[in-house]
Amino acid sequence: MLVIIRTIGQPGEISEIAAELRDSLDTTEIGTRAVLDGFEAWSAALGGRETANIPGVQFLRMWLRRGTLEPIISRELGGSALCGIWGEDSRAKLKAHPVGIVGHWPAGNIEIQPVLSMTCALLGGNASLVRVPPALSEPTRLIIEKLEESDSAGLLTRRIRMLVFDHTRTDLLETMARCVDGALIWGGKEAVLSVRALPFPHWARLVIFGPRISVAAMDATSWSNTEGQETWCRRIARDVWQFDQQACSSPQVLFLERKVGHSPHEFVQSLKKAFEAENRLHPRLTISASLTTLICQARASWLLDKATNSAIFPQGPDWTILLGSGTEVPKPTQGRTLTVVEVDDLFDAVGNLDGNVQAVGLAVVDAEREAMLASLAARRGVDRIVKLGRMHVFASPWDGVDLIRPMIRMVRYVPSSE
Amino acid sequence: MNEIEQKIDQLLAIPPYSLPPEERQVALLDCLKDELEIACSRNPGYRNYIEHWPVQQRSARRICDLPYLPVGLLKAQPPLSLVESSEIKRVLTSSSTTGQTPSRIALDAQTARRMTKGVITIAEHFIGSNRRPYLVVDVPGSTRNGPELGARGAAIQGLQPFASGVTYCLDLDHDGGLLLSRDRLRNFAESHGASSVLVYGFTYILWKYLVKPLALEKICLAMPDVHILHSGGWKLLQEEAVDKRLFNDTVARTFGCTADRVIDFYGMVENVGVIYPDCREGNKHVPAFAEVIVRNPLTLEPVVEGEQGIVQVCSVLPTSFPGNLLLTEDIAKIVSYDGCRCGRRGTCFQFAGRVPKAEVRGCGNIESKRQRAAQV
Repeated sequence: MLVIIRTIGQPGEISEIAAELRDSLDTTEIGTRAVLDGFEAWSAALGGRETANIPGVQFLRMWLRRGTLEPIISRELGGSALCGIWGEDSRAKLKAHPVGIVGHWPAGNIEIQPVLSMTCALLGGNASLVRVPPALSEPTRLIIEKLEESDSAGLLTRRIRMLVFDHTRTDLLETMARCVDGALIWGGKEAVLSVRALPFPHWARLVIFGPRISVAAMDATSWSNTEGQETWCRRIARDVWQFDQQACSSPQVLFLERKVGHSPHEFVQSLKKAFEAENRLHPRLTISASLTTLICQARASWLLDKATNSAIFPQGPDWTILLGSGTEVPKPTQGRTLTVVEVDDLFDAVGNLDGNVQAVGLAVVDAEREAMLASLAARRGVDRIVKLGRMHVFASPWDGVDLIRPMIRMVRYVPSSE
Repeated sequence: MNEIEQKIDQLLAIPPYSLPPEERQVALLDCLKDELEIACSRNPGYRNYIEHWPVQQRSARRICDLPYLPVGLLKAQPPLSLVESSEIKRVLTSSSTTGQTPSRIALDAQTARRMTKGVITIAEHFIGSNRRPYLVVDVPGSTRNGPELGARGAAIQGLQPFASGVTYCLDLDHDGGLLLSRDRLRNFAESHGASSVLVYGFTYILWKYLVKPLALEKICLAMPDVHILHSGGWKLLQEEAVDKRLFNDTVARTFGCTADRVIDFYGMVENVGVIYPDCREGNKHVPAFAEVIVRNPLTLEPVVEGEQGIVQVCSVLPTSFPGNLLLTEDIAKIVSYDGCRCGRRGTCFQFAGRVPKAEVRGCGNIESKRQRAAQV
């Protein structure tokens, strides 16, 4: 059996692995349908107990389903991509080809991201070299074991190598960069800048999913309607809890449009119950001391800043709800810390957003008004406007960028007989 | 206010390491509750924070249930204060790492007096109460009089009550760097080496500018009756692969004394009047007028003996700023809640490092490089 995940000590090991991948690219071509078949089987294999506790794995299972991916491929690459044939383009023919070896630099705080990033490249027929942060090596190994089980012929696995090494090993990072034809880079500002500066070949295509935040917003009718309140609060709690509020799609702030005669305190009490319930279902198993410190600071800072601000939180760092008013996005804390901001008009809040905001999760009763809010958000630089409660649904485009297309080449062929 | 001052003074008068934990808990809890109430009446923002604490302070049965303030909040400018600005006699500033904002601690006359008394009470338990020649391994300007005093200056000044005379043995060179004045050091050693003397320096400064160069030249200052106190963090020494044992042995050899005369103490400007010197068992102890709680980062509950967590310092001394209950950015291990073999009662702990700085990450990489910042 191939060893897909390897702990790397020397640059030469990476060069050898890249040569193996290049060889497999040269000798075999993999069709999109074959990839989808492989993913479908992998999704089924991930239903076992071994991977059940890995955060995000249920989402990964959904992502790998044909029903999820086929529409994305059709939209990004056109229907002919699924057939693996040359499509007609006037007198020319067009066909999607992989860029070659794609390097992946996933973030260190999302367990499924090394694998998720890799699937995007694989769908384009590419081979993948994935740098796995040591802290994620165990969940990644468990997920990849399931792929090895379901892909016994090695159709997919021969195109994947996952390299475990520390981010301080500049020599290994540089070697990896030299070996790839494209890269998907995810991470915080410092991480993205340092990876982008690596010595990639001049033809390499780099796609960067940098650090961003997301916000939620509810119009006056949505939050003040006591009937739907519990459901909305449950959805918000789910959006906050997934990925421990560290994903770029995690809401950091919830804007509530002011409603005369209704206090947001009542809504916040309902939100508190939803947070408590979500915490019982998904308690934290571990936390860094630095995040705990940040959470404590956010609570104190918020309450000291204005005597009119309020907050609800337990004695531990499990979750925090801060409540105030204004139109700006407050400094995000993460760690399940949601700042609820009452605003006179949602348009004021959305109008203040900028390109740092990836997604807006909306709950707006009036569809026409919501469409106007969506347009305003899009003009301000927001890339995703989705329903509150579905903020993490991974779909293409992400961050305004297609997920598969950037790592393929549309090859144009004009027959000489023409 | 008079009542609270009496309570504080009573706690300050108790031999610092004599109280059994239960007695200390009762006395401190009562005093801290009163102080919180006074603080709330003087600062609306602070009151708002206390009022939102999940446990009502008056019904709290343990010190660890009282509301604590993260130390980062003391970086506010103007300083977070509980007294009128006309009453502020001095502002202490912390030794912030590069690029960071320092804490700013507003002291009124009462708090400043207690600060001095607190340090004396603790230090004399380790080095005796007599006055003696005091060698400061720093430059003379570090304690200059003025409205603001840095952490180095505060530490140097805190030990001055034990000094019969002060000698500074470092100078600034043309580039503003530190330089050892060998003449002054030699004169000090020749004049006072045979008698009881006190030496203080920031840990890294003491090592880099005095001990390391002299040790390389195998110079011994021949001061057998010296107490060498140092504070200020080990990060830079760890980068030079200098551990505590090597440090103590080399310092002792250089000064010509035994290693037990080299005393590391943990202290922070924000925790005014409280220092935590190492006992002979290598543990740090908490005096009767203070407490240290080490909290599990996952639950924020106090850890059990032997476990590490985030340090919270508690002290009854400050009344000019809300510094009675502070969650620090340090990590420590609780060695025991009572019964150190050195004989001192109450909590004893060992410092284990700093909480790494965290940045907000949007799908961010938790491994991004941290700025390497000097501790001095």
